[in-house]
Amino acid sequence: MQNKANNPTLRVMLRELRRIQFNPRYLVILTLGIVFSFIFFATMMQEGLPQRMPIGVVDMDHSYLSRRLCHELNATQGVHVEAVYDNHAEARKAMQRGEIFAFFEIPPDTYNELLQFHAPHFGLYSNNAYLLAGTLSYKQLATMGMLASGAVQREILRKKGYDEEQIMGLIMPVELDTHPIGNPWTNYRIYLMSTLIPAIIAFISQLHTVYLIGRERQERTLRNWMRKSGNNTVKALLGKLFPYTVHYSFLVLLANLVMFGFIHFPMNGNWLLMVLVSLLLIPAAQCAGVLISGCIPDPPLAMGICAVYAALSFSLSGFSFPVEAMPHFFDSLSWLYPIRHYYLAYRDIAIFGNGLDQCWSSIVSLLLFGLVFLIGAKMMDLNLNKKQLS
Amino acid sequence: MNTSDLSSNRHPLQPSHDRKKLSVKTALLDIWQVFSAEVRRIFSDPMVMLVFFIATLLYPLIFCSVYYKETVINLPVAVVDDSDCEASHRFIHKLESTPEIEVAYHCCNLAEARHLMNNHSIHAIFYFPHDYGTRLASLRTARVAVMCDMSSFLYYKNALLGGNNVLIDEMHTIELQRYALTGITGQQASDLVQPVAYDDVKLYNPAGGFSSFFLPALLMLIVHQTLFIGILILCGDANENHRALRLIPPRLRNHSIHRVTIGRTLCFVLLYIPITLIDLWLIPHWFNMPQLGSLRHILVFLLPFILSVTLFGMSFGNLFVRQKMSGVLCCVFFSVILFFLSGMVWPQSNMPRFWYLFSHIFPSTPGIQGFVRISTMGATLAEVRHEYMTLWVQVLVYFCTACASLRFIKKYRKS
Repeated sequence: MQNKANNPTLRVMLRELRRIQFNPRYLVILTLGIVFSFIFFATMMQEGLPQRMPIGVVDMDHSYLSRRLCHELNATQGVHVEAVYDNHAEARKAMQRGEIFAFFEIPPDTYNELLQFHAPHFGLYSNNAYLLAGTLSYKQLATMGMLASGAVQREILRKKGYDEEQIMGLIMPVELDTHPIGNPWTNYRIYLMSTLIPAIIAFISQLHTVYLIGRERQERTLRNWMRKSGNNTVKALLGKLFPYTVHYSFLVLLANLVMFGFIHFPMNGNWLLMVLVSLLLIPAAQCAGVLISGCIPDPPLAMGICAVYAALSFSLSGFSFPVEAMPHFFDSLSWLYPIRHYYLAYRDIAIFGNGLDQCWSSIVSLLLFGLVFLIGAKMMDLNLNKKQLS
Repeated sequence: MNTSDLSSNRHPLQPSHDRKKLSVKTALLDIWQVFSAEVRRIFSDPMVMLVFFIATLLYPLIFCSVYYKETVINLPVAVVDDSDCEASHRFIHKLESTPEIEVAYHCCNLAEARHLMNNHSIHAIFYFPHDYGTRLASLRTARVAVMCDMSSFLYYKNALLGGNNVLIDEMHTIELQRYALTGITGQQASDLVQPVAYDDVKLYNPAGGFSSFFLPALLMLIVHQTLFIGILILCGDANENHRALRLIPPRLRNHSIHRVTIGRTLCFVLLYIPITLIDLWLIPHWFNMPQLGSLRHILVFLLPFILSVTLFGMSFGNLFVRQKMSGVLCCVFFSVILFFLSGMVWPQSNMPRFWYLFSHIFPSTPGIQGFVRISTMGATLAEVRHEYMTLWVQVLVYFCTACASLRFIKKYRKS
């Protein structure tokens, strides 16, 4: 014990562990927050993609055909008919009330027109203000429309005396065969959680870093901290932050183990590489935190700035809206976010099964945050010296 | 402790012991005192100023510029044409002319295309198998395989949308040819190809853009989170320096504690009316977001929203926030969860029952739902009645909890 305490970094680390033991409140709260987020996303999107979304039918025809169409719509997996309306205005009000995400409009005299070989006009209205729900229910309705059109064609061709094989060739000459790579079920939960959960943990660890350093300033224990480290800022920071690095990295690994191991998210590449990237994410996020608190001595202000910086990480990681579709400025800005590099590495490893030859650049970028750490430590040093001089 | 911020100026009209005869006028004066003290606190704290005035303006501008381009256009894709026939050339030619897709590479084989995909040079592959032409010629169904990059759903959406549009057009062309072979031509053939016609109307966001869907909800969330966290900072500051009690004028500490809540709430509401007008009316206007609602409806809807957020923040802050920085530390990451709880991404109809009920604890859920429906979809208050009533119920509940939390502070933190 005595021997260990001679190492300044270890000394600071022991001091930090005692501080955690004395006041574990925030570490516990934040860990619970992370666990809560995980459970929240895992249980909320259990379906993978929303199933049986509410839609409406405006039936102005009131015929055998329109009722049959309703039944057919109800029988598809993606949507269910929430209500049948008499006119357009009613359906639109229901949409504004949020009761339905799309509606299918069958105009009056549809059946008669069909019998007379006049093409009737159906209306297909979807609510794109809710992009996912609107697009998915639209897709279902459009498929239904295609099927209905095919059914009518088939009836007509049968009456003209064609056999079934000829009819299929006539109705469906080309088919699109989709192969989504890396997420064959087009599962929204896989897509979202695999980046969002590490992003939340990185976000929290970053803010926590700024908080911890700020707290030393506020509690006026800065001198004690520095003395323990032999007045070496780098060692002081390493010793102080290492317990948290271990804690949050463990959480990232655990989350990934649950996601890729137990819930069976697809992993096409080498899982050892994924472990490596997961281990680099938290230190990189903490380094960015060190830079912020090194540059801004006022703790609450540093905290505010860090929140402003980190809140953009979810957008600039580029997993929801691709970075290359953003204005160029944000393309460069996204390099400042560890989660961006994590996402790029995840994409290479888990989705495309690429090896080190592809994802080395992301790994190197994450490692480069070590430089950010050194700059942050230097800035902190300068700030401290200025204070002592004054 | 008795020498406090507020108790120093004794009440001009009423001595502190005679509480039974407090008139309306004294009540208003009490509220005014609390109100002005709160204003002074806000404007003397740089962190609160940062949250209330900088963040509320900076975030909307940043996010609006991040998503300024709305959608992905010209997604680079590769085609692998093993059949090399007239029909496949026509298909590729049509693919080239869709706005969603840009054919960036023509590859000799799938391996080459997969290599490009692994390099992220392209995000989808269209593969025509060697029998594409022969199957079409023998009047059977031909297949086109599409491989999509699933690292972002927008890639998938674009590849599929572009592919489907071409597919439908191509199907009509081939069907017309086939009917011509069987002797059916002209109007008769086109009636057969399309026995049922469709008008598809994409309401409220015709381009299917990401920003028109995402930003209105995000703006509302920004208003919610800045107000909530600003209040947490103020509460944390008071609790940290053991000044929480000093914010309650001594003569109000027993019976009329609700006046403290009213005075403080009034301050935040007045402060946030101009901010919400900028964030929720002017910014959508400047950035050309869909804006069908009337300002009157928006304002009437926002009143209970701001009240509810304020009271919720005060209840939460009084009870749980002990330090100035802990509000930021523990609550900012929750924005992500609030956004998903609001039901804008994952529809409310498909949420597990528990999360649906849980989401109603937070003013952000009815707030975002209601605002998006009024502003983007042009609903009136009648259509958002459920959300509007939820907000007023929240106002009532959180008013009681805010008062109770002040009583709690008074009782347990007298030291």
